[in-house]
Amino acid sequence: MKAGRTEAFVLGALPFVAIVVTWALLPHVVDYPAYMLPPISAVVGYARESLQDGSLVHNIVASLARLAAGFAIGMALAIPTGLAIAMNRHVADVFRPLLSFLQAIAGIAWVPLTIIWFGIGNGSVIFVIANTIFFAALYNTVLGVETIPLALHRAVRSHGGRGIKLVTQLILPGALMQILLGMRTSVAYGWRALVASEMIAGSSGLGYMTMEAVQWQRVETIILGMIIIGVLWVIMDRVVFATIERRTVGRWGLLQR
Amino acid sequence: MTPAVALAVPRARWRMSRRTARALKGAFGVALLLVAWQVSVPMVGMSAYFYPAPIDVAHAFVDLIRKGVLPVYIADSLGRYAIGIGIGTALGIVFGIAIGLSRRTALALSPLLKFLFALVEVAWIPIFVVWFGYGVKTIVLALIYVVFFPVLYNTLLSVRTAPAVLVNAVRSLGGGRIDVLRYVILPSALPGMITGLRLAAGFAFRGLVFGEIIAAKTGVGYLIFEGAQSQQTARTIAGMIVMGFLWLGIDQCYLRPFERATVQRWGLTIDAADRL
Repeated sequence: MKAGRTEAFVLGALPFVAIVVTWALLPHVVDYPAYMLPPISAVVGYARESLQDGSLVHNIVASLARLAAGFAIGMALAIPTGLAIAMNRHVADVFRPLLSFLQAIAGIAWVPLTIIWFGIGNGSVIFVIANTIFFAALYNTVLGVETIPLALHRAVRSHGGRGIKLVTQLILPGALMQILLGMRTSVAYGWRALVASEMIAGSSGLGYMTMEAVQWQRVETIILGMIIIGVLWVIMDRVVFATIERRTVGRWGLLQR
Repeated sequence: MTPAVALAVPRARWRMSRRTARALKGAFGVALLLVAWQVSVPMVGMSAYFYPAPIDVAHAFVDLIRKGVLPVYIADSLGRYAIGIGIGTALGIVFGIAIGLSRRTALALSPLLKFLFALVEVAWIPIFVVWFGYGVKTIVLALIYVVFFPVLYNTLLSVRTAPAVLVNAVRSLGGGRIDVLRYVILPSALPGMITGLRLAAGFAFRGLVFGEIIAAKTGVGYLIFEGAQSQQTARTIAGMIVMGFLWLGIDQCYLRPFERATVQRWGLTIDAADRL
């Protein structure tokens, strides 16, 4: 097992090394304008510079704070709506087609409109993230309630569980697993929406930083931004959400994949 | 003498089928939104630039069709989408199988692939713009990118999990490498390809709209963006509605029949998170 791990690590590092080597050698082999792909030293230099003046940390914090705000708003709206749809056939029939349609346009397509409504900045970006996360989480909430075994439902009902008690004792705990598992997908969509909307409607953040750099053709800024966007997502997905899953769904012995 | 026959004459009762009732209720939901929207316009009391009424949107829609703009834009958008999906899927499948065939190649490349998969296509757009300028090239490249990785990754995964028993069976029956590929690897890679494509189709549609907002002069995404820029907000909303119908159309006419014909028939499951 240990040998296998080392092998996987060494092999897995190879392509990254190859990319860095190619990048370093490329200017000597192919002739292209220097602005199109600056040397590695320029990217490292920019990273140091932006760390020292605090702009990099500022942009990272701005992006993460918006993601958190949009996530909180989106989840807070999605769970009650999802419960209402899943528990009442009439509500479901009336609102499902409308919501499916709104889901089809969820996310980035709202940006031009939100710029008119909220201007450039936090309002627009948070609206788009909340909107994106709302629809992803809604789906999972509805699915979560629908997959509660009918036997459990009947058991609770036959013991007189109804109304608010039915919700707190059966529906919410029953749907919780799917809601938690769905958070990962929701945030994946939200992250995408965050970067995209910051590019159009942001005044700070990682998306803003990379798109702004296009005007000045500062590719080193763009590359640094891309690396951070990728690494942050890997950390969020692998560390934060994997831990949440392990601590909750995994510990309750409900994880089935 | 006629016996009094109490014939149980069924009362003519008009009962709606469950489907019709559902459709009617759904239409009611949509009508509810439209009425609420129209009624709220005078209450909000803002200009049509800030908050246009449904009527304004309908006018903008008719105007767009009459001027012949809309059909061209829709055709452009769908063309880009089809090219991106086509090339991205083809490349993803080929590379997925090629990489998946060798354990060492798969081991070596999977961290990089995971990273590139995690690095959303949106983040590539600025650098594509520097390299290729604002235009169709940038959009199509971003689409190929966003389709390539989910398809590749899922294909790779299912090739790697192809049961060794089957490989051994084919080989012990005298099959060569080509036979293994044809009878074991390809069939077991199919669910991965479909899962990947399904995931990619949703991401690519959003990517298309975003790419057109940033880097196009035609298309539905451009329509949404340009309407807001030129203070014709009703146009923006008309564009969003067209976008919604396009996605529902793609989903209903292509993705669902495709899933029914493949995944569901074989009893596989699929996680389509962007569908209610």
